[in-house]
Amino acid sequence: MSNQVLDRTGARKAPLFGLPAVAVVALLLYLPFLWTTYVSFTDYDGLASPVWSGLANYKAMFSDPDLIGALVNTLLWVVGMVTLPVALGLLIAVLTYGHKWGTWLRLPFLLPYAISGVAVGVIWGFVLQPDGALGQALGFFGLPGAHTGWLQAGPGNTLMMIVAVTWQAAGVNALLFVVGLQSIPAEPLEAARLDGAEGFSLFRHHLWPQLRPITTVVIGLSIVGSLKTFDVVWVMTQGGPGTSSETLALSMYKETFVLNDYGQGAAIALFLSLVTFAASILYLRYQLGDAREQG
Amino acid sequence: MQRNTNRKALAALVIAGALALSACGGGGGTAGPAKGEDKPVDSLKFYNDKGGWKDAFTQVGAASKKDVGVGMEPVGYSDSNTYTAFIRSSFRTKEKADLFTWHTGKELQDLVDQKLVAETTDQWTKAVADGNIPEQLKQYFTYGDKQYCVPLNAGYWVMYYNKAVFKKAGVTQTPKTWAELTQVADKVKAAGVKPFYQTNILFSFVWFETLLAGKDPDLYDALATGKAKYTDPGVVEVMNEWKKMIDAGYFSDPGAKTEPQAQLKNGDVAMINFGTWFSGNLNTLKMKAGTDYDFFVIPNVNPELPKTSMIFETGPVCSAAGSDHASTVKKWTDWWVTPQAQTAWANSRGDLSFNPKAEVKDPGLAKLNKDVGGDGYRLINRWFEATPVPVANKALEVFGAFVTKPGDPMPGLQKIQAEADAYWAKQK
Repeated sequence: MSNQVLDRTGARKAPLFGLPAVAVVALLLYLPFLWTTYVSFTDYDGLASPVWSGLANYKAMFSDPDLIGALVNTLLWVVGMVTLPVALGLLIAVLTYGHKWGTWLRLPFLLPYAISGVAVGVIWGFVLQPDGALGQALGFFGLPGAHTGWLQAGPGNTLMMIVAVTWQAAGVNALLFVVGLQSIPAEPLEAARLDGAEGFSLFRHHLWPQLRPITTVVIGLSIVGSLKTFDVVWVMTQGGPGTSSETLALSMYKETFVLNDYGQGAAIALFLSLVTFAASILYLRYQLGDAREQG
Repeated sequence: MQRNTNRKALAALVIAGALALSACGGGGGTAGPAKGEDKPVDSLKFYNDKGGWKDAFTQVGAASKKDVGVGMEPVGYSDSNTYTAFIRSSFRTKEKADLFTWHTGKELQDLVDQKLVAETTDQWTKAVADGNIPEQLKQYFTYGDKQYCVPLNAGYWVMYYNKAVFKKAGVTQTPKTWAELTQVADKVKAAGVKPFYQTNILFSFVWFETLLAGKDPDLYDALATGKAKYTDPGVVEVMNEWKKMIDAGYFSDPGAKTEPQAQLKNGDVAMINFGTWFSGNLNTLKMKAGTDYDFFVIPNVNPELPKTSMIFETGPVCSAAGSDHASTVKKWTDWWVTPQAQTAWANSRGDLSFNPKAEVKDPGLAKLNKDVGGDGYRLINRWFEATPVPVANKALEVFGAFVTKPGDPMPGLQKIQAEADAYWAKQK
């Protein structure tokens, strides 16, 4: 009886304890989100009052060739980031897992993760500029392409920047996959080995299916990360030359802070948020749904 | 009962959100001057996007403290976009910026239109009468028939060159005509050095500006005011001329990450077309004016023009309307335009001053300051200030792509013109 009373009092008071946290979240996340949503339907330069403009900013977003280009580049980033760093991370994890020097072999791949995206951009900017480190290396070995402007035309510049980010992200993906590999029970694998499974066949039929939960996490993180790609591109090309390497996150920044078109910037921000949210939900639902069916 | 509490909490949140939202929404419309009481202070904060000039600002702050008892403390930003966003959003708060740098042209007009910036008509009238600010500068600070802000600096765009490279290439005299400039470029190129600096970000407009102003300054002015089109034959001709120069190998790699001053110092390029503030950048690299580098006035592309086109830039020092420290701001800006203040300011950066009475130590700059005041020059407002922001932004993208991979200029020019059409249609 007394326990029940306590429970009820506790239940009544619980929201009060949560209120400060809820207030902070509401103030710092929900309010700006609501404000951004409102601004996206207005013509607003940050100085005069916003003027309601209906769907004009959204229409402009899907008719402006530069913004469509940014959308295509963003998709390239998504495709690039869910393939290259994930595949490379998996390869590193599988090849080094169980190896005597595994930890040491993985370490060089993991180190770039310790530096910021901006630093990655600066380093790779020097590598990829015409007559940069890559050009000089190619020239030294007498290989073609020493004078290629790696960052000077689309979509090649976007692809090279994906390579740069792969250099940074592959190591941490490998680490996540190693964690996944460690969680696989040893007995079934031993049994499979006794049955003669080895090499690719062991990976394909025994390791890969059990890595599925961690793969879901790695790919999910890659999708979200790639949709908001900004820092590396901003440092390496500022979206150029022209708008050839611009991503939606960059367009959002440019529209808002360079062109002072806060309405257009807000529309892109909202669109990007919705796409990220929808992609995450759909992907997780699909993956977890499948896992449940299999389970 | 618990559900009830939750509902109430949710309702409270929604109401709070709606209130806050409407408060945010209303702020912008009434952002005009809020008349506060005047409170004199003994030091002012000077917000600026010239983080690299901190030492110069600090020196000037000490000088003003000594001269008129009002100090100045610089708050420098190094990223121009962050700075602009900060100043724009500050107008929505109660904290008014006492002193801040801005851009002339459309950006200043935006602030004037919203009545966010303090008027300085009386100060201008006095400064012009005293000979502290040249009359011809007034137009860049005039909206309606009133003046706003005072000048921060003045810069003329000239051609800097590395003296050692010129010597190596056998160039003994600086060019006086466009044909001579081309000959110099050829000699430098033959000596294995790229004649001119070029970049594909921000300053990608420089050669467009130079070629157009030197060929047809009337067309240049007409473009800036929307009376001519970027697709006009005169503009296309300039783009083709530019392409011809790029194809001839006259320019450095536009994607290079090395700073322009380092490129000039290292002898990677022979000449750089920049504002006179570039002297300060070169001095920082321990290059000596007149010994390691020098500059010359860029000759007109069209020798028939009656006056030499001189690209000119000036930035304003503004104060927010309704500042609590208006009387202190006036005292400080009155001091700022005097020869005494401008001598300190110009020499602290090794640059020119807008005040012709300032004593500029660098003899080359001092001579230029005097020459340009004469009859032989036509001052041309720098393209970056003369062009409306959305048009300039689109054009920078187009120029950036053009210098990287020059081709038929027409598609790019059409893109700029589409942006210009949209902009000028909105202004009517």
